[in-house]
Amino acid sequence: MEYTKQEFMAIVTGREIKDGQLIILGVGLSMLAGYFARLNHAPNLRAFTEGGVYGSTPVGGLPWGIECNRISANATSFTNAIDALGFLVASGRCDNAVIGAAQVDKYGNVNTTGIWEEPPWKAGRYPAPRVRLNGSGGANDIAVGAKSYLIMASHESRRFMEKVDYISSPGYLDGGDARERCGFVGGGPSAIISTLGILRPDPLTKEFYLEAYYPFTNVEEVGESTGWELKVSPEVKVVPEPSEQELKNLRAVDTTGSLRKKG
Amino acid sequence: MHNKLMTIQDAVAAYTWDGMTYCHGAAFPVGSDSVAFGREMVKQNRKDLNVICHCGSSQVNLLAAVGAVRRVEVGFSGLEVYGFANGLNRAVTSGQTVIEDYSNGAMAFRFFGGAMNWPFVPATVNICNDQQWCSGDNPEVYPATDKIPTITDPFTGQTLGAFRCLRPEVAAIHVTMADIHGNAIMLGSEWSRFEMSRAAEKVVLVADKIVDTACMRQYPNLVRIIAEVVDAVVYWPLCSWPQASCGLYDSDEEHMFMMNKAMKTAEGTDEYCRDWVHSYQTPEQYLDLIGQDKIEKVTATETAFLMDPYRQWIKSDVEVAELLDQARG
Repeated sequence: MEYTKQEFMAIVTGREIKDGQLIILGVGLSMLAGYFARLNHAPNLRAFTEGGVYGSTPVGGLPWGIECNRISANATSFTNAIDALGFLVASGRCDNAVIGAAQVDKYGNVNTTGIWEEPPWKAGRYPAPRVRLNGSGGANDIAVGAKSYLIMASHESRRFMEKVDYISSPGYLDGGDARERCGFVGGGPSAIISTLGILRPDPLTKEFYLEAYYPFTNVEEVGESTGWELKVSPEVKVVPEPSEQELKNLRAVDTTGSLRKKG
Repeated sequence: MHNKLMTIQDAVAAYTWDGMTYCHGAAFPVGSDSVAFGREMVKQNRKDLNVICHCGSSQVNLLAAVGAVRRVEVGFSGLEVYGFANGLNRAVTSGQTVIEDYSNGAMAFRFFGGAMNWPFVPATVNICNDQQWCSGDNPEVYPATDKIPTITDPFTGQTLGAFRCLRPEVAAIHVTMADIHGNAIMLGSEWSRFEMSRAAEKVVLVADKIVDTACMRQYPNLVRIIAEVVDAVVYWPLCSWPQASCGLYDSDEEHMFMMNKAMKTAEGTDEYCRDWVHSYQTPEQYLDLIGQDKIEKVTATETAFLMDPYRQWIKSDVEVAELLDQARG
């Protein structure tokens, strides 16, 4: 069966989501991966949004936002941000999450705030950005509080950077035990799922290395698409292709075909 | 409790002014927000605003696009699947608008702290990263130490961030339905409207529907915004348009894209304001402008059944007009 890179990334992300987990999902790819997982292999997934929308299954296609009526049409509870991002995420209760990244670095730090001519950490000041993105939204709260979480990103060297322009959502900061020193409640990102493969953090240094790549690429291409000297697992594998059943289940969630438009 | 109904023109004239700290909400980028109130602020030429919005939305996108926003504090500034907020981003990258970033969680905690009248809120979010180190208010210092100062938990010794609480001068809050006294029921996520209504010095409700107080007496547990903290109630149908209102209408996909595209340039914004802001006065003219076909389309929402319990108490436009006359005395 034909599939797009975006679909492959969503399915691979979904495979990282386990049955029974309490998971917070954001808009777009995050929601698609999560609801795909629930339909495909995790029927008891307990999914919610940062607005405190519980128990729902999106209707009519990809929701336009976390509060879109497409996700509010069959909810079992509506609460609020304090509940979802505070009581369930900042408290450390939430098992898993999926966040996106405009830029990500080798320690899994994510930038979704802006692009600068000279980044603040280099300039020693904080001028207006050349390009303003969206800010962190709830992703910073998730990055700090969730037991673990997944990062999804398009794998290009301009996005996979040695050092991001701005840390909107902290991964392992500068590696090692940096998270512990900051007193973060959650455990940090468990993987970066890209359009080319799966990166995992080294248990000690926390630097992300290539664990597996997709069948349509190779180690060289992944390395060239990464802005730091990407380490490769000695047991590097090829990620199994999406099965027909997985694609069928993903498309049952992505009814408007948003992942098929992106090549 | 007296009748607090006001026209949108009177409410904007009475409760907004140049240079104020203005808060709008929910706000959700695609859902609940008092967008019609922001349009009226543009009509009345409000300037130099310090805006607090939990998330950006079409409202702050428009206000920033017309150059009315001096500063904004926000957890998320985009329009979700509808894209980056072009008007706000144009104002930020040109240096016209100072943006102070927090996370969505931090914004909610800060409203809670404001509602509690706390001096600050302690939390572990936003620290050890650029949300703490980059301050729009103090751009010459990096890493900033006065935006989210680091403090020590006196009980455990743990490092925490101290967050300034939010106490906006006025909050214009979107609700699904309100009575004339200011009791309100919100369908869909509350986001931070409960805390916002207790944190703001003045509260204006912008309601899609006006209902009889008997509705509140039937569902008092659902009345999360109370008359006791509300100063004015504005009735404006489709007041969140082109965004959604759970139970009543979906987002207007075509207009969301068109409006945001227009906000990309000053010229596009001028044309948009001519056609879609300055071109109506009354709710009837506003609905005519949106058009019957579009209204039928957006109100054919999968969430419509959520309104079923409340329909018997909804006031007709004629009844609301009479109540408005009574309020004016």
